[in-house]
Amino acid sequence: MSARVLLHVGTPKTGTSHLQDVLFRNRDRLRHHGLLYPADRFDAHFLAALDLMALPWGGLQAEAIGRWDALAEQVRRHPGTSIISHEILATASRSQVGRAMQSLAPDDGAEVHLVLSVRDLVRQIPAEWQENVKHRSTITYEEFLAQLRDPERKGRIATWFWGVQEIPDILDRWGHELPPENIHLVTVPPPGGAPDLLWKRFSSVFGLDGLDLDLEAERANPSLGVPETALVRRINKAVNPVLDPPDYRPLVRELLAHQTLSRRTRTPRLALPPDLHEWARDLGQRWNDEVRRRGYDVVGDLADLEPGPPPEHWADPDSPRESQVSGAAVEAIRALLVENARMRAEEERLRHELHEARVALDRSFLRPSYRVREKVLRGVRRTAVGRGLHRVYRLARGRSSRSA
Amino acid sequence: MTGPARAAAWVAHLREGGTTPWAEWTGTVDGPTPPVLPGAQQLELLRRVNQRAAVPDALVERVLTASAAGRGRPDLELVGARPASDFGPPPVDPGDLPAEELLRVAALLLAEDLAAEGDPDSRHDRPDDLGRLLGDAARRMKRSGRGPWLRPWRTKYKLVGDPWRADALRRDLVARGRPPGGRGALVLVVADDFATMLGDLWTDRCFSTGVAVPAWGPWLDALAGSRRIARGADPALVAATWSERVGRERVRIVLDETQLPAVLGVPRLTPRPAVSAEAAELARLVAKALGLRVTPDVGRRILRERLLPRLVGHPGHPGAPLAVPPEHHRWIHRRSVRMRDAVRAGDYPVVGEVDGLVSRPRALAASGETLSGEAADERVLALAVDLLLAPTGAQDRTGPQEAGT
Repeated sequence: MSARVLLHVGTPKTGTSHLQDVLFRNRDRLRHHGLLYPADRFDAHFLAALDLMALPWGGLQAEAIGRWDALAEQVRRHPGTSIISHEILATASRSQVGRAMQSLAPDDGAEVHLVLSVRDLVRQIPAEWQENVKHRSTITYEEFLAQLRDPERKGRIATWFWGVQEIPDILDRWGHELPPENIHLVTVPPPGGAPDLLWKRFSSVFGLDGLDLDLEAERANPSLGVPETALVRRINKAVNPVLDPPDYRPLVRELLAHQTLSRRTRTPRLALPPDLHEWARDLGQRWNDEVRRRGYDVVGDLADLEPGPPPEHWADPDSPRESQVSGAAVEAIRALLVENARMRAEEERLRHELHEARVALDRSFLRPSYRVREKVLRGVRRTAVGRGLHRVYRLARGRSSRSA
Repeated sequence: MTGPARAAAWVAHLREGGTTPWAEWTGTVDGPTPPVLPGAQQLELLRRVNQRAAVPDALVERVLTASAAGRGRPDLELVGARPASDFGPPPVDPGDLPAEELLRVAALLLAEDLAAEGDPDSRHDRPDDLGRLLGDAARRMKRSGRGPWLRPWRTKYKLVGDPWRADALRRDLVARGRPPGGRGALVLVVADDFATMLGDLWTDRCFSTGVAVPAWGPWLDALAGSRRIARGADPALVAATWSERVGRERVRIVLDETQLPAVLGVPRLTPRPAVSAEAAELARLVAKALGLRVTPDVGRRILRERLLPRLVGHPGHPGAPLAVPPEHHRWIHRRSVRMRDAVRAGDYPVVGEVDGLVSRPRALAASGETLSGEAADERVLALAVDLLLAPTGAQDRTGPQEAGT
């Protein structure tokens, strides 16, 4: 029976990829200290979240079948503290939350702590649009913003955005049965702060202080600038009909967006249009007031959630400077060509390896008796009766018998 | 406190089989009310199910605790049930919810029912042993009356083209002891007029899991803007590919299925029963949710061997066939003419009339279900509710309980 479960349910774009990367790579060291991060692969908790919430995700859902129950079972078996972390859990419905809590801590058998990392809304809105674009979306920034401001929140964009970002509502769904002291809000420091401050906050809330962990980031979810995001959106329009999700993820999201375009850091950064600053600031303020009123444990400072002033020069990603977009496009082509050359070299190496294997096989199979047996078998297997007899023969010989 | 008490009373009313809409409900309960109520979608779905028939207790609980599958609106609060909140999605009157929202919950429940029944092909659960092989062979012989090995002169075949029809014909032939393949097999490209093939292609994907399939309208929209047509609806391309591989003399484009028994040397063939547009749409929604429960190969078998017979066995079967929305008539007609010309130019042997590939404007305009609008969603929901009430096909018809305001 698990004694304590630390359940980190969001929000997206708050350093979650780095946290999960550190936890995954250090899971053996954590185990020595009685902390369980139950994951056989980096995205194990993402798959478990898909399973819990019955969410299709570009074909990945087939890999997610049964993942939540398996994860919960590991947590239940662990006698110490267990950590679960994925940001899409933020959007779980009340009944899914009920199922999650029941499976992790049946009959209140464990002490559950809820962790929610949060960042100011003015930074979250453009970041979420960019995430949409990096997941094949072709929606313009203007349309995205219009959907967010729809009071009915009927569209898929608004449903998802507010589901994973509206802090008081997430805490209503996830925390309605927990005492406020078991709910921890980790605030993301404003830009310009100490680079390791966020990690220190995560470390303190997850009880990692004093542990010797490898903090080198291997995985992150870096941001793109305005022309780069505009370029990816245009690429989506062109490739969506011809590129399936399993190819899109490594080629567009990873190779182009994360590994190539995110390195262009001197282009204008995505930001909220100045005329929407006041709306977002007021909304964020109401959330802050509510969180303060409910008396949750705040790790950091709620003042971190107050946005800075609007940018003096705002760059519209729906009308980017074409020279900057073409610069990004040239970078993208360069990366694709380099990758293509690497794959050609790999293909050539494999071709050579295959040729050598064939030559070796031919040498082994040159014996006349083998040729005769092979010819007889080919003849026998031409008919259904022959194929059936061959299967019977193989079964009679036992499964380990090799083909004649 | 009237809001929470009224809501709690309405939930109790629905649990007891009530059908009164929330907007007309005035009852209340005494005493404490539960802190959390089921979502408006779940409650309205239960009301609709109650309207249809008496609902078993287990199903009541399942409906009330289900969440909708996939992305979409979260579980919504009842309007007037609680004091207005500044946070979360706005509460709704469940009666105003579109059928599409209720279908998301119903599809998940149907998928759970189907997944719980397991893989229909139990062979996949059994080890490969001598007894199983002999048993399978005996069953095949019994079904066909004679084994394939007794007729070495039989016509060997391979079925390609329209995947929905080819799959059904293949199953039928296998059941008759005529599995596909073999040396020198004739390649039969199953085809029909272009619009029918598009409908079949979409239906085939609706009865598969693994990849999300857009609704009929958006699926056609995407095709209209694309130069490529999937191979299953392009017999000219399929015939060209197979001609290169095995030679033109071994390829036939089949446009008249009534001639197939003669071609294959079987007394008759049973075509796959027609599937109505609503049934295909419901299968699409169920498949989306089922894909989260079982692997794609099992999901395909479950949909075709468990769900399809129930849809075909539904008293409303056959409903209206799938029809092409008017905005797509022109391009489909033009493309079908080009397809016929390509088949003619390729000079492939055709079983039937090559003009059968052309989708005529008059035929396209014939009545059918285009699956657009709220009314269509309501019909799909009605079908889903019937299947929920009779998961194994037996339709129980007891009247709904009277409204109790």
